[in-house]
Amino acid sequence: MKDEYSIYKKAQEEALRYQTRRHFLREASFGFGGLALAYLMGGCKSFGSGNSTSLYDPVNPLAPRMPMFPGKAKSVIYLHMAGAPSQLELFDYKPELMKMDGQDCPQSLLEGKRFAFIRGVPKMMGPQATFKQRGESGAWISDHLPHLATIADEIAFVKAVTTDQFNHAPAQLLVHTGGPRLGRPSLGSWVTYGLGTENQDLPGFVVLTSGGKNPDAGKSVWGSGFLPSVYQGVQCRSVGDPVLFLSDPDGMDRDLRKASIDAINEVNRQQYKTFQDPETLSRISQYEMAYKMQISVPEVMDIRDEPAYIHEMYGTKPGEACFANNVLLARKLVEKGVRFVQLFDWGWDAHGSDENLSIDIGLVNKCRQIDKPVTALILDLKQRGLLDDVLVVWGGEFGRTPMQENRDGKKMPYKGRDHHTDAFTIWMAGGGIKGGVSYGETDEIGYSAISGKTTAFDIQATILNQLGFDHEKFTYDFQGRPFRLTDVSGRVITEIIS
Amino acid sequence: MKKFSLKKGLIVLLVLAAGIAVYFIVRPSNRVDFNADVKPILNKKCISCHGGVRQKANYSLLFRSDALLPAKSGKYPIVPGNPDHSEIIRRIISTDPEERMPYRSEPLTSQEIDILRRWIKEGAPWGDHWAYVPVKQQNIPSANDKGWVRNDIDRFILDKLGQIKLQHSPEADSRVLLRRVSLDAIGLPAPKNLAEAYLKNPTDRAYETLVDSLLANKHFGERWASMWLDLARYADSKGYEKDEHRDIWRYRDWLIRAFNGDKPYDQFLTEQLAGDLMPNPTEQQLIATAFHRNTMTNDEGGTDNEEFRTAAVIDRVNTTWQALMGTTFGCVQCHSHPYDPFRHDEYYKFMAFFNNTRDEDTFGDYPELRSYGDSAKEKMKELVEWVSRQAGEQRAKEIKTFLLTWEPSINSQNADQLVNSAIEDTKWLVLRNHAVARLTKVDLDKKDQLIFRYNSYVPHADCEIHLDKPDGPLAFRFDPPKKGGGWTIGSVDFPALSGVHDIWFVYSSPLLKKPEDSGLMFDWLYFTQQFPGKGAPGYESMQHLFWQLDTMQTSTTPVMMENPEDMHRNTYVFERGNWLVKGAQVQPDVPHSLNPFPRNMPKNRLGLAAWIVSKDNPLTARTIVNRFWEQIFGTGLAETLEDLGTQGIPPTHPELLDYLSWKLMNDDGWSLKKLLKEILMSATYRQDSRVTKEGEEKDPFNKYYGRGPRVRLTGEQIRDETLAVTGLLSEKMYGPSVFPYQPKGIWLTPWGTSVWKKSEGEDQYRRAVYTYWKRSSPYPSMMSFDGADREVCTARRIRTNTPLQALVTLNDSAFLEAAKHFAVELQTQNPGHADLQIKQAFARAIGHDIDEQSFEILQSLYKKALVKFKQHPEKSKEMNGTNTVEPELSALVVVTNAILNLDEYVTKS
Repeated sequence: MKDEYSIYKKAQEEALRYQTRRHFLREASFGFGGLALAYLMGGCKSFGSGNSTSLYDPVNPLAPRMPMFPGKAKSVIYLHMAGAPSQLELFDYKPELMKMDGQDCPQSLLEGKRFAFIRGVPKMMGPQATFKQRGESGAWISDHLPHLATIADEIAFVKAVTTDQFNHAPAQLLVHTGGPRLGRPSLGSWVTYGLGTENQDLPGFVVLTSGGKNPDAGKSVWGSGFLPSVYQGVQCRSVGDPVLFLSDPDGMDRDLRKASIDAINEVNRQQYKTFQDPETLSRISQYEMAYKMQISVPEVMDIRDEPAYIHEMYGTKPGEACFANNVLLARKLVEKGVRFVQLFDWGWDAHGSDENLSIDIGLVNKCRQIDKPVTALILDLKQRGLLDDVLVVWGGEFGRTPMQENRDGKKMPYKGRDHHTDAFTIWMAGGGIKGGVSYGETDEIGYSAISGKTTAFDIQATILNQLGFDHEKFTYDFQGRPFRLTDVSGRVITEIIS
Repeated sequence: MKKFSLKKGLIVLLVLAAGIAVYFIVRPSNRVDFNADVKPILNKKCISCHGGVRQKANYSLLFRSDALLPAKSGKYPIVPGNPDHSEIIRRIISTDPEERMPYRSEPLTSQEIDILRRWIKEGAPWGDHWAYVPVKQQNIPSANDKGWVRNDIDRFILDKLGQIKLQHSPEADSRVLLRRVSLDAIGLPAPKNLAEAYLKNPTDRAYETLVDSLLANKHFGERWASMWLDLARYADSKGYEKDEHRDIWRYRDWLIRAFNGDKPYDQFLTEQLAGDLMPNPTEQQLIATAFHRNTMTNDEGGTDNEEFRTAAVIDRVNTTWQALMGTTFGCVQCHSHPYDPFRHDEYYKFMAFFNNTRDEDTFGDYPELRSYGDSAKEKMKELVEWVSRQAGEQRAKEIKTFLLTWEPSINSQNADQLVNSAIEDTKWLVLRNHAVARLTKVDLDKKDQLIFRYNSYVPHADCEIHLDKPDGPLAFRFDPPKKGGGWTIGSVDFPALSGVHDIWFVYSSPLLKKPEDSGLMFDWLYFTQQFPGKGAPGYESMQHLFWQLDTMQTSTTPVMMENPEDMHRNTYVFERGNWLVKGAQVQPDVPHSLNPFPRNMPKNRLGLAAWIVSKDNPLTARTIVNRFWEQIFGTGLAETLEDLGTQGIPPTHPELLDYLSWKLMNDDGWSLKKLLKEILMSATYRQDSRVTKEGEEKDPFNKYYGRGPRVRLTGEQIRDETLAVTGLLSEKMYGPSVFPYQPKGIWLTPWGTSVWKKSEGEDQYRRAVYTYWKRSSPYPSMMSFDGADREVCTARRIRTNTPLQALVTLNDSAFLEAAKHFAVELQTQNPGHADLQIKQAFARAIGHDIDEQSFEILQSLYKKALVKFKQHPEKSKEMNGTNTVEPELSALVVVTNAILNLDEYVTKS
């Protein structure tokens, strides 16, 4: 005999789908008013005891949803320094390494290791920055980041992060999708899938890039993988349309656009009368949303009307595509209810192969570009009372070697460090994270984790935890099995949670 | 309002409850059915701890053979025929919380316990999952409705409809049907002549003629190739960080021709999987193998080429299962399948079929088929015949293979023992002054010539080749000439050698002043015999021709090619899926739970293809039939196209799926056009798609097919339809991918050198299937409509409905240009008659006449726009993109733009 319980459950599900998708919309969604109500209804949806049931509601896929348990953070700003910044020049102070500067790397560090570019026996390279202890917590931060140093007590450093990917694209994928190969949803997609978003006039998951290039792994680091494509990150741009195809065509003013969307929707309502297809109703609301987005996105993407002191604080330059502008935008976006803002800043790959990509020059410049805005972001969120709700994460995809790079066995034109998988630093602030703590330690030359070793999975688990999700239970059924962001790993780093 | 919908919900519950009651009453046999009754309990309650991944207490319920073994305790969990002695029963009913299974979880219901008891009592038979049982011929239901049934599909549908007492729908209006069938068959609105012929007198016969004409139309292949490209993860770039260009469009063209020519599906698959292993493969058969060369190649500096070669091989395995057999085999990479009958080592046995291809994640994407022009092809034929006469067929074959592929060569990236030399950017061996480098196990037997692709940075140097040691016997030395910049092909003759050796390069040049300066860089090296037939008539010219062809610039396509004996790779199990931790060595084989490997077939890809297209293979036909059904009806007969396994959603009409699968294999000779015709001719397909009140209540998701399909078009179809409707479409077929309009600043790939350069002339208006597909940055409007990034196989697109889609069709310049072009045409055809223009615009776009209300809505939009443009002539200029003020044209553009955004326009109904 068939399992009665499962039939009953199925019936329940069908009934639920039936109500929300069809009847509710048909009766409620005529005109803009219906939409708001639809959110309220959508808002009822949350996790039950079993959660393998898809949360995806095709009619209202981004409606705000409750997490599994009350989370401390409501939104996330993830600052990714693409190319991988050197922990040894920024946060992981290693005076012992200085003593070894210029010496041949001991064989013991090379045995059984794979490097991207180092060949043969490289030389050790001491920290190329001056360090001081900062704040009451005494966190070590180098002079490369003088502004950030002033807010050390807001930050939790995770210093013994490790990865098993030493090439940019796979390593970035691992950090953002939980796997080094393509095809998995990104962190932001998981989060918007789980929580929806607060403001339906803006995309729920916004991506901003700076440094003139996309990250190495391309758009798949904000792709939705096997989740419905509505959860993919929407790239907002500082030049051209802030969102692709957002501007009305030349000659079409707002009035006319409104009239034309009204006409489209009216004909579609005629259509609905004939075919009774709920997709038609959904399309009507999508056109309404598109119209609203056309107004709200440019508004939020315009930083010009921010007060002068804010521009001064962030070091922003309106009209340019730069990291500082993106950071200010990130603040504006989360303030407006965007769930997940992902920044990628390109240019941190300091191999020493040219001036821009070097530890001695390029890295110093990159630090200068981010120091002020990142600091401003934390302070600004704090002064607005938002820091408790917004989790800020800063990091790269791996670390850099304590050895100086000798690409293909040759001396490099500038000082550089190769990709390094065994130790790097990621820091977090806000969103229920403890300030002024440091978790995890590396050995005396910053080569390997010796205590509190963590992985990208632990970072992901922690982020999900702050948002109210148990990373082991937050799954999506695909190809016949439940998938999760953290795959089969991940531990919430409770040591940094307040 | 809410109360009302709750009421409806209750009705649904009641209907379902009634259904359950009926189900229990009419259930024919009292025996427990393993698949229907037992397996769901095991999957839900037991297998996460006692399955393929975890085997707590050393006990697994995945296979019967395992389940009947004693557990760690020594007790027998299942004693067939004797539930009371079966530990499993004792444990599920135990009241001791430390003993009771499922451990620390909700207990089984008494119903479930009863099922398990009875099942064990009946001998605990294991049933096979429906999709793993060979397809059997089906009895066609006797259900009939003379006025409606057109073929056997309808009988199956009617049978099920009868079960829920739902009426089928009448046939759709001929104009609606015309649009539907044309979009389905060729992905475009019907060509004018076909449309006119059919609409003039839309009889049954005319409909059949229409279907036949569409199936024979040259655009048919484009539409179906488009579908296959997602499965083949086709893209015009190599993927990963650099994501550089790849020439592989000939594979796309092969697909179009294959669909147009209705290549039988078994052959279609065989050529793609193993065209290179077929006897005397044709150029087209080699190109077909590019199917599995659509895997990504990682050109990022510092990558381990073997790691990404392995990733590509794994992708081939997963894609083969996912795309061709609707099975998620990827799980088995790390452990035995958690739910389905595939063991961990079977993954690697299967991988062994694919692990011996020549590709090594090289920058050059080798092996590549070099496509010669017609006259060069003629000359090559002549050359090969000449060699065959002089030195025999074997030698002729070798030479032909080399000219076609530059293979089998040694990729210089494999060199090791590097002294003052390096694998530059982890791609090419570069030698500096006083360099040493090694290549291992090179077959030098009877070889007396080296052909190599290289780049020399100095005019003179000394390159020595030593055997087995850097100071071993000197085999030969040479001075690779510097020929301009860039890659060149060179050769050196030497006295014949014997045996297999490690070869050592010892290189120096007095012209290299600094130790870090590059002297010589190799791409590949080919050890061979000198051109045969020395002294024979024609030798000089033939040898000259050989070099001419060998160095000729050709376009290329990556293809599959098997390693020669001396380059053979062993395959090992990867422990927990980690390619660096190799377990037992394995030989090629297929999973034992499926059909046996065909006798008399070699254990290579060709044999594998034969196994896949064997009529005994339970998955292949079902997978493609299900996929075609999904393409037409929007949902597969089994909804999870990617997973027909025990975790997938079972088919709504299993008998129909099997009927069509059987027919495809046995009656229709694997003809996909016949399959499609059967579907398109059915009354089921031809139904009106309007939802009746009854249909809405009994079958809201049209799972019983009581009405016609109504599905949003794909991004590709929307683009193609728009170009066709507005008169912009170029019908040009085949060739390199094109670059239609794309907003600026989309391609920002680090390090990559490619740029989006808008195509000229008609190439801007080609069908979507020809649009350049860059993996890291796919064409944005297609992505908005759920396009796949094509990094890995996408077995099913999940349709979404988002405001970003609206923005594309409202504002994308490509769509706006179409709207303008459309408006100009309409104006030219009906000068001065705005109403007529609007009516025609609608009729041409939607395929039927506009109703009065919709017309009034659009007419008032037109009037409003006209007033606006008359008041603001500068806006008219902007809208028209010309320097002329034409408010009527501008207003019409606003209307055509709106029409191209209507629900009915982006939907097939």
